[in-house]
Amino acid sequence: MTATTAPSATGDRARTAAAPPVVSFTGVNKSYGTVRAVADLELHLHPGETIALLGPNGAGKSSTLDLLLGLRTPDSGRVEVFGTTPQQAIARGHVGAMLQSGVTGCLMEGVTVRELVRLACDLHPHGYPVDEVLERAGITDIAGRKVNKLSGGQEQRVRFAFATAGASDLIVLDEPTTGMDVASRQTFWGTMREQARQGRTILFATHYLEEADEIADRVIVLHRGRVLADGSSAEIKAMAGARRISFTLDGPPDEAALRALPALTGLDVSGRTVRMRSTDADATVHAVYGLGLYPRGLEVAGLGLEQAFLAITDAATTPEEAGR
Amino acid sequence: MTTLIKLEILRALRNRKFMFFTVIYPSALFLMIAGSSGKTDLVPGTRLSMPLYYMVAMASFGALTAVLMGNSERIAKEREGGWVRQLRLTSLPGRGYVMAKIASAAVATLPSIVVVFIVAAAAKGVRLGAAWEWIALTGAIWAGSLVFAALGVAIGYLASGDAVRPLTMIIYFGLSILGGLWMPTTTYPRWLQNVGDWLPTHAYAALGQAIELGNAPHLKDVALLAAYLVLFAGAAAWLYRKDTRTA
Repeated sequence: MTATTAPSATGDRARTAAAPPVVSFTGVNKSYGTVRAVADLELHLHPGETIALLGPNGAGKSSTLDLLLGLRTPDSGRVEVFGTTPQQAIARGHVGAMLQSGVTGCLMEGVTVRELVRLACDLHPHGYPVDEVLERAGITDIAGRKVNKLSGGQEQRVRFAFATAGASDLIVLDEPTTGMDVASRQTFWGTMREQARQGRTILFATHYLEEADEIADRVIVLHRGRVLADGSSAEIKAMAGARRISFTLDGPPDEAALRALPALTGLDVSGRTVRMRSTDADATVHAVYGLGLYPRGLEVAGLGLEQAFLAITDAATTPEEAGR
Repeated sequence: MTTLIKLEILRALRNRKFMFFTVIYPSALFLMIAGSSGKTDLVPGTRLSMPLYYMVAMASFGALTAVLMGNSERIAKEREGGWVRQLRLTSLPGRGYVMAKIASAAVATLPSIVVVFIVAAAAKGVRLGAAWEWIALTGAIWAGSLVFAALGVAIGYLASGDAVRPLTMIIYFGLSILGGLWMPTTTYPRWLQNVGDWLPTHAYAALGQAIELGNAPHLKDVALLAAYLVLFAGAAAWLYRKDTRTA
């Protein structure tokens, strides 16, 4: 990539939110030693949203979730969940959470799936009946098994049951489908959609971009502990330059002229081949003809969220890296 | 919270390895050590016969095993594996996890004490002066095990997954042997006896020995155990808070 425009609009989109936010991060900072995991984070999640938290490893996703769940306290700034502290919100049963599984397995060894789910139902102030929770998580058939004798995907579903054992208003999931095969992943998100339809707010961290694309109605891209982009997945793609345009010219291209094309967000010229990214492919291509050029083998293709995501994080990294 | 306590007890009783080491092992050791000695053989330096001495020693040892071995390793592993974090995301009060651990250890302790008594009474014909002494003995050993339950929790929060087993083993065997649970400390060199006298296990076994002789436990032993309880519980509470802040 030889040219990129810096992504603009970060932070919250203007929302006509009648209800108070479910989660509010105000100027939150968290460092581990010299590593700044979360930097001046502003984040407001609204009731009923399904939000994907995206970011490369070390972007601050897990730290953000830890702060949200009160597992860590911020160095400065304020984290509010349902208008109170995370601990209080959890004690009142507002939040159901499923963490990333540890290396050595995370459940209570030596008890059965049913016993573990019953524990979760009993602990929740508004717990559901055990059988209902088992059924919804699709683990009725393995209810008699010991939790330490499960496959990775089964364990994830048990952990999901544990997180959704009661009537919580916010469900937080840290990389929930890790270790699941494609079929159980689909079932899992089916269940999640059902939860969202009941008006729950769902926040999940993932590195599967197609999940964010398909499931979330809001995508937040984190990078180095900051919000890099925040919007619908369509908006995120547009922000990165949603269309790829490529063609070949008869003669050597005039780079300066190409760079001045409208809606252009990226330009790469190698020999007589031109590759561009654009937020408005129609306008860009029209202007190419307007220059009197005759592009051969013209191709216009959509950009997946994955490429959009790479483009955004790349753009945020490059200037800083160059400055070092 | 009662569900968690019930589950902790249930899985302790289900764990065959754990039940073997806490129930069968102390009784078997009792039979092996006290088996060849007669009823009238006195333990050097005491007024107790070999079977009497070893009955209390092994009941205390079994109780020690039950409260120390199970909890320290479980807590360290569950802390590392994320189960403790997951529980913190429920409405369970913060101390609930540790309370359940101690409660389940307390329940698992009872069979290890009672089985040693039954084996001693049946196989070696051990009799005490009065029926209440059996009850007092059980009560004293049971209550005393709380000191080591606190120690187990402290170790669980101090050590990480790999280090916890060797650390527990060193403390466990050190306390058992030097405190006189395996053999009377009267056979040790003088300086080692002096060290042993100040260990919680020594005071722990002394509780039962005093009752066997028809006396109340010595004030010094009770005070020493109480001091250790304060120390271990304080350490456990401090380590627990430290862990909660950084988890």
